[in-house]
Amino acid sequence: MTDMSGKVAIVPCSGIGKTFGTVSRVAAYQVTEDDRPKKTRLVSLAMLVMGDPESKSTLAESPAITIDGCAMACATKMVGQCGGRIAREFAVLDVFRRYHDFKPQGIADLNESGEKLADALAKEIDIEIDNLTSHEEGGHHA
Amino acid sequence: MTDFLETTIDKFTFRVDPACLYSGDDIWVRLEGGRAKLGMSDILQQRSGDIAFVDVKPAGTVLAFNEEFASIETVKVNVALISPVSGEVVGVNPALKLTPEVINQDPFGEGWLCEVALSDWDANRLLLLDAAAYLEKMKHDVSEAGKS
Repeated sequence: MTDMSGKVAIVPCSGIGKTFGTVSRVAAYQVTEDDRPKKTRLVSLAMLVMGDPESKSTLAESPAITIDGCAMACATKMVGQCGGRIAREFAVLDVFRRYHDFKPQGIADLNESGEKLADALAKEIDIEIDNLTSHEEGGHHA
Repeated sequence: MTDFLETTIDKFTFRVDPACLYSGDDIWVRLEGGRAKLGMSDILQQRSGDIAFVDVKPAGTVLAFNEEFASIETVKVNVALISPVSGEVVGVNPALKLTPEVINQDPFGEGWLCEVALSDWDANRLLLLDAAAYLEKMKHDVSEAGKS
C-alpha cells in the first residue's frame, strides 16, 4: 500500500491558535520524529495550501494519514483536493471522546492532559502506520 | 426544506428556525403533538464549538422551569442547558450517545435533545420569544459581544 519509498505522509491540522490543532501537531511530531521516523514524512498543511511542489510530490508518492483538529477537516479536504491518497483520517475530537479524562488545554503549550491526549493519538496513528507498512513489507516477501 | 431566518456577522451565519420558540438562554422549543422538543439554537452550538460529550436528563425526570436539563462539553467550554419549560422528560435523542456532533450539524433537526410532556405550557409560553424576536435578540447579543 505504500510507495517505493515505503513512507506514509502525515498531514496534521494547521490550526494555529486552537487547542485541538495543537494536539494534532504534537501527535504528528511524535509520530514522525520519535515513534516512526523511518516510516513517515511530515507534510505541512500550510505548505500544501501554498502549493509547495515538494509537499505535493510527497502526496503523489505516498499514502496519507490526515489529522483534523475540528469538523472543518481542512487537512483531509486539502489532501483530497491535491489528489492525495488518504489511507486513514483521524479527528482529534473522536480521540478525545475515547479518552475523556485527557481534557486538553493550552495553545502554544499543552497542559499535561493535552500531552497525554496527543500521545494517545500518536499511538493510534503508529498502529495504522504499522498496518500500512506491514502490507507493503508482506508484498515484497510474496 | 425549512426556510430559516438568518443573519451573517463577520464570517458566521446564524440561523433561526421559524417553527420554534426560543428562550433567552438560547434553547429552542418546538411543540409536537402536545409535547415539546428542546434543542440548542444555532448560535449557541456555534459559539460553544464542536461538541464532544452531551448528557441529557433521562426519561422520567421531572423538570422544573429554569432547571438544568442537559449539559454539553465541547472543545472550548462546558455548558449547562436550562429548561425553558416544566414537565416530564419522555424521550431523549438516542443519536446523541454515539454521535453528539449531530447537534453541530443539524441543531434544529437531528440534533434535538429531549422531548418533554408539558405541565405548565401556558405560563412557560409567555416567557418564550418567537423566531423574529429571537433573531433580533441574537443580533443584539452579537453586537454587544463585539463591543466588549
